[in-house]
Amino acid sequence: MAVAVAVAVAAAAARVWGSSRGLGQAGLLLRRSAARGLARSLPQRQEQQHFPSLDDKPQFPGASAEFIDKLEFIQPNVISGIPVYRVMDRQGQIINPSEDPHLPQEKVLKLYRSMTLLNTMDRILYESQRQGRISFYMTNYGEEGTHVGSAAALDNTDLVFGQYREAGVLMYRDYPLELFMAQCYGNVSDLGKGRQMPVHYGCRERHFVTISSPLATQIPQAVGAAYAAKRANANRVVICYFGEGAASEGDAHAGFNFAATLECPIIFFCRNNGYAISTPTSEQYRGDGIGRGPGYGILSIRVDGNDVFAVYNATKEARRRAVAENQPFLIEAMTYRIGHHSTSDDSSAYRSVDEVNYWDKQDHPISRLRHYLQSRGWWDDEQEKAWRKQSRKKVMEAFEQAERKPKPSPSLLFSDVYQEMPAQLRKQQEALARHLQTYGEHYPLDHFEK
Amino acid sequence: MAALAAAAGGLLRLRAAGAEGQWRRLRGAGLLRVLVQPDSATGFAAQRRHVAHFTFQPDPEPQEYGQTQKMNLFQAVTSALDNSLAKDPTAVIFGEDVAFGGVFRCTVGLRDKYGKDRVFNTPLCEQGIVGFGIGIAVTGATAIAEIQFADYIFPAFDQIVNEAAKYRYRSGDLFNCGSLTIRAPWGCVGHGALYHSQSPEAFFAHCPGIKVVVPRSPFQAKGLLLSCIEDKNPCIFFEPKVLYRAAVEQVPVESYNIPLSQAEVIQEGSDVTLVAWGTQVHVIREVASMAQEKLGVSCEVIDLRTILPWDVDTVCKSVIKTGRLLISHEAPLTGGFASEISSTVQEECFLNLEAPISRVCGYDTPFPHIFEPFYIPDKWKCYDALRKMINY
Repeated sequence: MAVAVAVAVAAAAARVWGSSRGLGQAGLLLRRSAARGLARSLPQRQEQQHFPSLDDKPQFPGASAEFIDKLEFIQPNVISGIPVYRVMDRQGQIINPSEDPHLPQEKVLKLYRSMTLLNTMDRILYESQRQGRISFYMTNYGEEGTHVGSAAALDNTDLVFGQYREAGVLMYRDYPLELFMAQCYGNVSDLGKGRQMPVHYGCRERHFVTISSPLATQIPQAVGAAYAAKRANANRVVICYFGEGAASEGDAHAGFNFAATLECPIIFFCRNNGYAISTPTSEQYRGDGIGRGPGYGILSIRVDGNDVFAVYNATKEARRRAVAENQPFLIEAMTYRIGHHSTSDDSSAYRSVDEVNYWDKQDHPISRLRHYLQSRGWWDDEQEKAWRKQSRKKVMEAFEQAERKPKPSPSLLFSDVYQEMPAQLRKQQEALARHLQTYGEHYPLDHFEK
Repeated sequence: MAALAAAAGGLLRLRAAGAEGQWRRLRGAGLLRVLVQPDSATGFAAQRRHVAHFTFQPDPEPQEYGQTQKMNLFQAVTSALDNSLAKDPTAVIFGEDVAFGGVFRCTVGLRDKYGKDRVFNTPLCEQGIVGFGIGIAVTGATAIAEIQFADYIFPAFDQIVNEAAKYRYRSGDLFNCGSLTIRAPWGCVGHGALYHSQSPEAFFAHCPGIKVVVPRSPFQAKGLLLSCIEDKNPCIFFEPKVLYRAAVEQVPVESYNIPLSQAEVIQEGSDVTLVAWGTQVHVIREVASMAQEKLGVSCEVIDLRTILPWDVDTVCKSVIKTGRLLISHEAPLTGGFASEISSTVQEECFLNLEAPISRVCGYDTPFPHIFEPFYIPDKWKCYDALRKMINY
């Protein structure tokens, strides 16, 4: 009886653990029981689980591949690396006509105007921080192509999770200048109710999830949103932007792995702009950029981020397949951060002016697209001059208006912590109101609504 | 052949039951006694492993929610999850090992019933589990995330504190993740040591924007969990793991809610207020009996239930009546949630206090293994503190 049980246990173990040596284990158990004087004759062999050609293929649950009898470490291919897909050369000429997306004139002009309007807004708001009018700002110089190229390839209802340097996506989706400014000024028109630092935009209507400062936290969140979209049969993709620095965070690893294992319709869009504040890519990673997608089982591509058509094509195809096949895609858009990290940064401390100038003058998404437009006869110097004047005027008007508006009522300090206000918090709100009645003169109440 | 199949099945079930085997010893907790057999060779008595430090007291069968069924705490959790997935088609459950039923069997049967797209395993990554759950909730779907032990919630701390808690506030209510609930087994279990015994509620109590809830029993667990799932704010629901099998009572089969942020006075009294949550409620209940029997002291026993936002009014009302307050929790003393209660009560009820507020808590050490019987704030320590308060 004990022996039968021992054999049964061994066979069960074999099935559970996948080992082909079940009987060997039974033999061991038998020898042990023999030692205790319980030896019995071996009962008939139990049936072997059928494994096809056990000697030829590994049977590990973790990976099957093939056997190899030569000791060889896989060399990470960093020298040649993943090639950079592009459609236009640096002068805006289409290289391979079959890759030209043949976007209609209106659409290409919209791409151009979005990038340039963003650029103009960046210049004015950066200046306004320098003059002490807003507390903080981050420019998008050099990366405008990554924003609009990808935004143009999406549906308007596709959900966007960004990091903080994707204002062009909102610009492309026609987020009004007034609201950009309102958020930066934290004035009464800010949809975010003045709660966050400048450039932490959000817009429910335009499906742009509010930006938060912690890096890469949006990555697993975007994956969850994509999973929900898949379950809802929403025919919707989620796009998740992040920089190459944020891709080092644990949350990025988590997000990639979840997206692949849970089969989510998501586009991971990495803006590899060469720097994470002062940290160059050589100190950020040692593999081939963010081409670590295949390591997770994710279809990946590297594109020229300063080529709006390359960005557009890659995003368009990724979107189509992500939704159709319910799997993630990773796009690494190579670009360059022409501006400082933020108004709190002076990048001359860690890189040369020459390097910056090269990108500004020789390989800029705006100028490349302008060359394309001009070569098609869709744009000229007259229009350029007029548009510059017009966009500057629009921005200045919005800016002056934003400055004049009051800030929201200080009572809004307390709402939205929960959907309903807890009793303890209401007490604190009342305490502040009473405090201001007595000490109000020491607070900037004049700038705030009642 | 049948024996083989049975044995194989048995092994699989054992593997599935995993942690369960150890809990069998806790069945009928309170009825076990330590068997001390003198061993003449070494001089040390051979001790039967573990005696529970509490006796679970079931509440009377609830009348107002329809048909009830005998359930232990993990079954009550399963029932709540079952009700949720039945009435909310967007609801999904995910985490490590939830597909086969979970290491504590809280999700048994749900994948078969609701499908693999609704009850599924994730990779082993708590920050991913919570981040993923936030994302689901942002779209408006209901996300029920499981963290395998509260001790492992810390990789997700950033997502919980910096993201989930602040989602609504920072976006000006444009976005929120209110339909996220995070569940995790919590508290001491007799042998869990540093990493299977923690009660981390104090870390989260300091975080406006989330709710933190701890039930004391199966009936409470189901009603509170359903409230957390339906609540429009992200909630953390800590389940006292030692009660998973040890706590058994009649629980309604249908859905019902127990309100959040409402403490429950489970026993009225006039001389001392005792406050606790989770397993410790049963300890202080016993302390109340001891106080009545040995000292003639009448205790008011309060189960706090929701740690954040907590029910200040019920506790203060009680202390105004009794004049004495004792708070007890397993988590370490310094910075434990008893400090918050103590501080608020002395602000609100200073002139009503007859004695300093007493906190009987775990020591300021990591949770030890072999020393657990000495570490935990058991009934003798609570009784002793109560006696000193009465004699103050």
